[in-house]
Amino acid sequence: MEQNHISSSFDKELNKLNNNLLKLGNTALDQFEKCINNFGTQNLDEIKTVINTDKILDDLDDKVQKSGFEIIALRAPQAADLRRVIVALKIATIFERIGDYSRNISNRTKLLIDLKYTDLPGVNIGKMGQKTQTMFEDVLDAYINEDDNLAVKIRNSDIKIDKMHTEYYLEIISHMQRKKNFAPTGTHLLFIAKNIERVADYVTDVAEQIYFLVNGHVLSDHRPKADKTSLKIPN
Amino acid sequence: MNNNRNDFRSLELTVGDVFSKDARLKARNVNVFYGENKAIDNVTIDIGSKEVISFIGPSGCGKSTFLRCFNRMNDTIDSCLVQGEITIDDENIYNKKIDVVPLRARIGMVFQKPNPFPKSIYDNVAYGPRIHGLSENKEHLDYIVEESLKRAGLWNEVSDRLQSPGTGLSGGQQQRLCIARTIAVSPEVILMDEPCSALDPIATAKIEELIHELGNDYSIVIVTHSMQQAARVSKRTAYFHLGKLIEVGRTKDIFTRPQHNKTEAYISGKIG
Repeated sequence: MEQNHISSSFDKELNKLNNNLLKLGNTALDQFEKCINNFGTQNLDEIKTVINTDKILDDLDDKVQKSGFEIIALRAPQAADLRRVIVALKIATIFERIGDYSRNISNRTKLLIDLKYTDLPGVNIGKMGQKTQTMFEDVLDAYINEDDNLAVKIRNSDIKIDKMHTEYYLEIISHMQRKKNFAPTGTHLLFIAKNIERVADYVTDVAEQIYFLVNGHVLSDHRPKADKTSLKIPN
Repeated sequence: MNNNRNDFRSLELTVGDVFSKDARLKARNVNVFYGENKAIDNVTIDIGSKEVISFIGPSGCGKSTFLRCFNRMNDTIDSCLVQGEITIDDENIYNKKIDVVPLRARIGMVFQKPNPFPKSIYDNVAYGPRIHGLSENKEHLDYIVEESLKRAGLWNEVSDRLQSPGTGLSGGQQQRLCIARTIAVSPEVILMDEPCSALDPIATAKIEELIHELGNDYSIVIVTHSMQQAARVSKRTAYFHLGKLIEVGRTKDIFTRPQHNKTEAYISGKIG
């Protein structure tokens, strides 16, 4: 926000909206990072912390929605200001949703500990999570710097996560076919992998919103996708 | 902000499409001087047929001055000099042979403050058709008055008191009476200079609804300080700054993604 408004209180309201959104984004990133770490370390206390912290994301989202709604009603923002408010409302919802996925992954990780199944397939869900985490970190940077080039790069990198997900999905299904008592653990692993893939999709949505914020029009070309899990029957 | 779309910041030319496929009024390289002071600087723009276009910009930007060029209202100011060319249907309105009285019937004007004549409601509307000889007889004149008041959305409120003084109406009704008076002489273009600035929100909404309906038949140019009004009523918006036409475009583009940083600053209420 390079240029100040004549009404300084309008600037304050926009800054408040932006600060709450960034706080929400950083907290969602922190939650996701922790849930991926906990998937590896299986530290029960840390898992519970992630589950209990989700409420903070809900509260921050409420704050962003409320202040965005008030700015639209009272300030009738125009042009870049309007885009900023609309994009903030959309992104806040996405961050809050990512938080829900982090909580769900944490719940399932807790169940995996209880299931105590050790003969796991050769999939690296943690790596997929870390790659998604990097995308998430980059998208926050792209938002702060209004870097539409980085946003496009992030959007195009989602295909790597899709490919990993498809590969892991097939491997887990195959392992389930071979080892029948693996099914409960395998089902949770499938959901965890799917949730991470969805987080990457959400990060991509944020990247598209950043592009719109900067340019005033949506990215026209179709997003590259490679998640084939809903399209093919495993061998 | 990383504004890679504002590479043309240094250019002085108008951004956007100043031309119209179906132009009724054409202004070409228009300059207006008040004595030594240049109030309008090399403005070129078309006003399309049956188009509602808003002129917006800060006070003193020249938007009203430019509007008044279209029906030669600036002729009434001795120190005012208009250069360049303005045509209506390709006829130069600054041609010395042009009679401004019929010109102002073709290009009517509604002013900031409602200014009904100190006459009855009926005579306010009948005045123009009478002096321009547009009515064949009393019945025809009655018809023009009724139709004009209907089109101005005022008929139902005044049909039972046509002989009452126009000045006795409320501000919003007076402004609609002035619009009825303008359309009674079958204009091609209606110029509106801040037509709602003296009106409350309800009267403003009625005028805006009227502008919307009249836009089906007339070209309407509206000067307004209310950006929300420009956004609500016009299909096209022109932004003026210090006598220059900075940007013209579809209203929905101007208010969501203006091209010029000056337009962006103005509509966003930023220090330009």
